[in-house]
Amino acid sequence: MKKEKTSEVILTYLILILVSFVFFFPVLWLILASFSSSGSIYDFEGFFPKGYSTATYVKLFTDTQMYDYPSWLRNTLFVSGFSSVISTVLVILTAYTMSRFRFRMRKPLMKTTLILSMFPSFMGMTAVYLIMINFNMINNLWSLILIYSAGAPMGYLVQKGYFDTISNSIYEAARIDGATNPEIFRKVTMPLSKPILVYTALTSFAWPWSDFILPNMLLKNRDLWTVAVGLTHLGETEFSRFAAGAIFIAVPIVILYFSLSRFLVAGVSDGAVKQ
Amino acid sequence: MINGGKKAISLMLAMTMLSTVSACGKSGAAKGASSAEDGEITLRILENDTAKEKGYLDELLTAFNEEYKDKGIQAVDANMEEYSNLAENGPYGYGPDVIYQANDKLMAYAEDKHILALNREDFECADKIPDEAWNAFTLSVDGKQYTCGIPINVQEPMLFYRKDMLPEGWESNWDGDGNGIPDFLEDWSSLYKYSEEVVNTSNGEKYGLVAPCNDLYMMAEFFFSYGGYIFGKTEDGAVNSEDIGFAKKDAAKGMMALKQFSGIMSEECLDDSIKQSRYSKVADGTYFCSISTPDTYVLFHDRLKEVYQNEGLSESEADEKASENLGMVELPAKLPSSGDLTSGEKDIDTIVMGGVNGYGISAYTEHREACIEFVNFASSYDMVKKRADILGIAPTRSDAASDLGGVTSMIFDSLNAGHIYLMPSVKAVDQIWDPVGTLLSDVAKDAFREKKNETVKYADESQMQEALEGTSKSIYDAIYTLSN
Repeated sequence: MKKEKTSEVILTYLILILVSFVFFFPVLWLILASFSSSGSIYDFEGFFPKGYSTATYVKLFTDTQMYDYPSWLRNTLFVSGFSSVISTVLVILTAYTMSRFRFRMRKPLMKTTLILSMFPSFMGMTAVYLIMINFNMINNLWSLILIYSAGAPMGYLVQKGYFDTISNSIYEAARIDGATNPEIFRKVTMPLSKPILVYTALTSFAWPWSDFILPNMLLKNRDLWTVAVGLTHLGETEFSRFAAGAIFIAVPIVILYFSLSRFLVAGVSDGAVKQ
Repeated sequence: MINGGKKAISLMLAMTMLSTVSACGKSGAAKGASSAEDGEITLRILENDTAKEKGYLDELLTAFNEEYKDKGIQAVDANMEEYSNLAENGPYGYGPDVIYQANDKLMAYAEDKHILALNREDFECADKIPDEAWNAFTLSVDGKQYTCGIPINVQEPMLFYRKDMLPEGWESNWDGDGNGIPDFLEDWSSLYKYSEEVVNTSNGEKYGLVAPCNDLYMMAEFFFSYGGYIFGKTEDGAVNSEDIGFAKKDAAKGMMALKQFSGIMSEECLDDSIKQSRYSKVADGTYFCSISTPDTYVLFHDRLKEVYQNEGLSESEADEKASENLGMVELPAKLPSSGDLTSGEKDIDTIVMGGVNGYGISAYTEHREACIEFVNFASSYDMVKKRADILGIAPTRSDAASDLGGVTSMIFDSLNAGHIYLMPSVKAVDQIWDPVGTLLSDVAKDAFREKKNETVKYADESQMQEALEGTSKSIYDAIYTLSN
């Protein structure tokens, strides 16, 4: 019995290691390529660079005449930060309203948003471009924030599903105690909703962080580019810089994920009366 | 742990706030195109990336702004991607006022009226530039000729080679005419012979010439030298895109020569990877030479410099040695009329494809006269010479070309002598690259099929001719059927 268990564990670990390797190897390769001393993908010995140095990372942040990575990073952080805050507020309010209140046209609205959210966002790109031109918002980072935030409530279904699981008796108890709707939302629902708040904030941050199509269409000036747009415009011999830029862009989002992920669990275990 | 989490979140929020402050200013400042605040005219200039990278654009803008500070005209970098679409951005006011581009790109805009027609007489450089260069920026509409750009420099594919890798005793073995130039830099048959020798003596680890065989711009000599052309001309001299010339005259012989040469190249010549690898492969000695445009000189040079630095030389020593050992010359001047590179013939002139880069003025600019002033300034002798000094380009101004001498004047002379076939300045040119590139790649691949004992597709000239005619038909369909 014990032998069987040990062999199962070994097999499981072997499979896990193999699968991890398959997923991790490209990342490892990119990390090593970003430290290539020559900067060119064609100077590699087999899979890996011939020599290593940190020069590319130094160049990434100091050689800004053609490729201003720090500026791209600031722009990306600006757009993602604001989009995340505004989108989270809008999505949570939409989901809470749809979950808690019953009003006329609720069902048709839900069905309409469900259908609309099935269409890929790039379908409306030409229309978005023309609208932004008329608003004089081309070459303006706020145009991206506006579009990301305005489109975010369409994806409220996950959040609504979460609010649906909160027991009605909590709301009834709050109402008996004299709480108004805003008070119930602020003092009862929000403390119970940390996991979904964190989830919403993270996903709202991650989308603009890595989006390419929209910023590429709306931002014409080089110094307004986001990292995704900037990296695609790097010269053909700048592979190491591309790799370093791609690696570094992952750092803030990884920090954010690890620092916020505890709340996903903590929120679930927060005390409350549940059915 | 929780404190750590809070700190991390605080840090992220602080970073966001910081970026807000800095990005907000920029986001607002970037709005709008050229402006005339307080009577000051601001021109947005879109130059190419190399000019920006090497500091020429800064010098140009500084010099212009200094010269015109009392006249209320200021020029700034448009700060856009070098190939950003004027047709998309111009009408909405986000495009540049002055744009620097190759003749085919600029004239495609001109055909759609995104670029202004200009009077040659308005420009001081007018009589210093040969007609061949002006023709590249001339648009023919209803029998009338319009000039839509000011030619600045001419480009053609060049041969980049390692002087320190010339074979020992080449003066006695490889200089038949005793002119002090190795034969393999003068004719294709000798280059083929030398390349074959390099491959054989290194057991296939090193190569002579390896070039991007799928690139029409680099390989066009195998069409044009044999009588092929892109588009014919009408009686009044206008480009006739109905007459497609890739299958004309002895073009099939040229293609057979290309197939033969690619057989002794590395297999990298078949796709775009060679366009990125050629710099380091020439630098590390895997290739003796490769083909590229003059503006990539610095890329070959920097790679070679890195190699020398890795060997232990200081930066200045490596720089000096790289400049000494990197050679850039025009492609070999002679080809065999039979299309057989082993025949030893060198009886026809090489005609390469070239392009002319120049300035155009956006049709959407609000400051036409100021733009003309700027282009006049940028095409002046001093600025063109400075451009050539910094970027190594070959100017179209005869006075600058003759003063610079060397490779620059060689390119200028080739243009005048008709050894450079300029890309036709019509939009239909957009439709030639993919079909011909695919054919070129397939022809080159045929040599490798032969080596691997696979079935070859272009065994003789008649099969090659058939393929060329098929490609010409594809181009015709793309221009007149599919794109309508």
